[in-house]
Amino acid sequence: MSAPVSPGLRSGSLPLLVALMTLLAGLSLAGLTGVQTLANGWSGAARNATTIEIPSDTPQIQDRTSTLIQTLHKTPEVTAVQELSPQQVQTLLAPWLGEVSGNGHLPGLSLPVVLIVAHTGTPNLGSVVHEALPEAVVEEDRRWGERLNGLGSSLVACAWLAVSLIAAIAVLSVGMTVRRSVMAQRKAVEIVHFLGAADLTISSRIAGRAALLSLGGGLAGLLLLSPVITMLARKLAPFSHGTPTTISPEGTWGDMIVTWWNTLHVLPRMLLEELGALPLLAACLGWITAQTVVLVWLRRLP
Amino acid sequence: MIRLLNVSMMPPGVGQPVLRNLTLTVPQGEFRWLLGPSGAGKSSLLRLLTLETRPSAGQMDLLGVSVSQATRSTLRNLRRRIGFVPQDYRLIGEWTVFDNVALPLRLRGASERDTRREAFAVLEWLDVAHLADKRPGTLSGGEQQRAAIARALIGRPELLLADEPTNALEDAQARRLLSTFQELVEMGTTVIVATHNEALVREAPAASITLQDGTLAGSDPQSGIAARRSDNL
Repeated sequence: MSAPVSPGLRSGSLPLLVALMTLLAGLSLAGLTGVQTLANGWSGAARNATTIEIPSDTPQIQDRTSTLIQTLHKTPEVTAVQELSPQQVQTLLAPWLGEVSGNGHLPGLSLPVVLIVAHTGTPNLGSVVHEALPEAVVEEDRRWGERLNGLGSSLVACAWLAVSLIAAIAVLSVGMTVRRSVMAQRKAVEIVHFLGAADLTISSRIAGRAALLSLGGGLAGLLLLSPVITMLARKLAPFSHGTPTTISPEGTWGDMIVTWWNTLHVLPRMLLEELGALPLLAACLGWITAQTVVLVWLRRLP
Repeated sequence: MIRLLNVSMMPPGVGQPVLRNLTLTVPQGEFRWLLGPSGAGKSSLLRLLTLETRPSAGQMDLLGVSVSQATRSTLRNLRRRIGFVPQDYRLIGEWTVFDNVALPLRLRGASERDTRREAFAVLEWLDVAHLADKRPGTLSGGEQQRAAIARALIGRPELLLADEPTNALEDAQARRLLSTFQELVEMGTTVIVATHNEALVREAPAASITLQDGTLAGSDPQSGIAARRSDNL
C-alpha cells in the first residue's frame, strides 16, 4: 500500500449505490436494445411488404387474379407473391368479423382474395396492379412502416432518456456521497492542505478510492444483472433462429458456464460490449465526480 | 523574515477585527515569544502566519513572499517551508504517529528511505519512537504534543510557529524543547512561540511580541535565545 499523503474516501454506501445504478443502467440498455431490435423489425417488415385486396364481386376473379400474380412475378424487385387461402383470410379478419362458424364460412359474406407481395426496395406496385386489375385495392404497408418507425424512434428516445437520467442520478449520488465523506474528514483534509499538499494530491487520492469503490459496485451490479440478461437472452433465442439452451442440473460448473456463455451469445454483440463497459464507465464517472467535488470544495480554503 | 504592515484580520461572520493595524518585523533567524492574555489575538496571529487565513487589510510578507498577492501554488510552496505546533496537536486520527510525522517530507516528494530515517531520528529525539505505529487517539496529551512537535520539526522549516508547545510536557522535556528551538535559531530558522507560561519565559528570556485586544501592546528588547545566537555569530 502506498504511503498516505492525504485522507482517502470513507464510504460504505458508494459500492451499493453504484451497484444499483449499474443494475438500472443495464436494464435500460437491455430495454433499449430490445426496443431498437423491435423497431428495426417492424419498420423492415412493413417497408418490404404490400397487401393487395381483390373484392369478391370482381368479374372473372380467378383468371384475372392469376394474370395479376404472373405480372407481379415479372416485376423487378418483387421477391414473392403469396395468395392467402380463404382460411387465412378468415383468420386475418377474425378480429373485425368475429369467430368463423364450424363450416369455415362467414354467414352471408363472401371473402375477398388477398395477396401479400414481398419485395426489396420501393417498386411502384400501385400502377402495375391497377393496370391489370383496376378493382383491386393496394394497401401500401410503407405508410404503416413509417408510423411504426416513428413509434420505434420514440421508444428508443425514451430508453435513451432513461439511460441518461440514470447517469445523471448516479453522478449526483456519487457527488453527494463524496461530499459527505469529505465533510466527515474535513479536519484531516484541512491538516494536509495547510501542511502544503497540492489540491490535486488530495483530490486524486479521494478520486482514486471513489473509482475503485465504483468499479467494485459496477461489477456487483453486473452480477445482479446477469440473471435478467440470461432470461432476456433465452427469450430472444427463438428470434435469432436459435433454441433456448437448458442447463443440466447434473452438469459441472464448467458446463454451466459454457452453456450460460452460449446463451448470452444470442444477444447483440453491442449490448454485451455496453454491459461489459458499465463497471469501467462507473469507475470513470466516480473518479471524475470525486475529483470535481473535492477540487471545488478545496477552493474554499485559502 | 516576517513583515506585517498595518495588518488587520476580520474573520467572516465576526463584526469586528480580531487583529487591528498590526505592524511588526521579525528578521530571519530570530526567536520571539508571543505573549498576551487570552483573547488578545495570539492564535489569530498564528493563523495568519500559518496561512490558514489571509489578512483582510494591510501587507504581509513571509519568507520573502508577499502573501496578499501570492497565487495558490505560491502559498502551497510557502506552507511547506513553515512548521507549526498547534495547541490541539491536529494529528490525523486514522493514521499512525509515523505517517503523521512523515507527512511533510512525503509532500515534498522525499524518498521513503530518507523519510523513514528522518522521522525516526526526530521521534527518537523526542522519546516517542516506540509509539511510531500507534494511532494518536491512543496516546496521552504529552505524547501527542511530542508527535505534533516532531511533525513540525521534520522538514527543518525556515519558520517555526508553536502555540503553547510545552503545556502538556514535563519540565525537563520543555527545557529540552527550548534548547532545540535555540539550535534551530542558530541554523537560521525564525521561531515564534505563543505561551502563557511566565516561568518558561523567565527561564529563556528572549525578545517578545505582546498583544492586547488585537493590537501590538509592546515588544521587549532582544535578549536570551536570540542574544545567544548573536554571540555565536
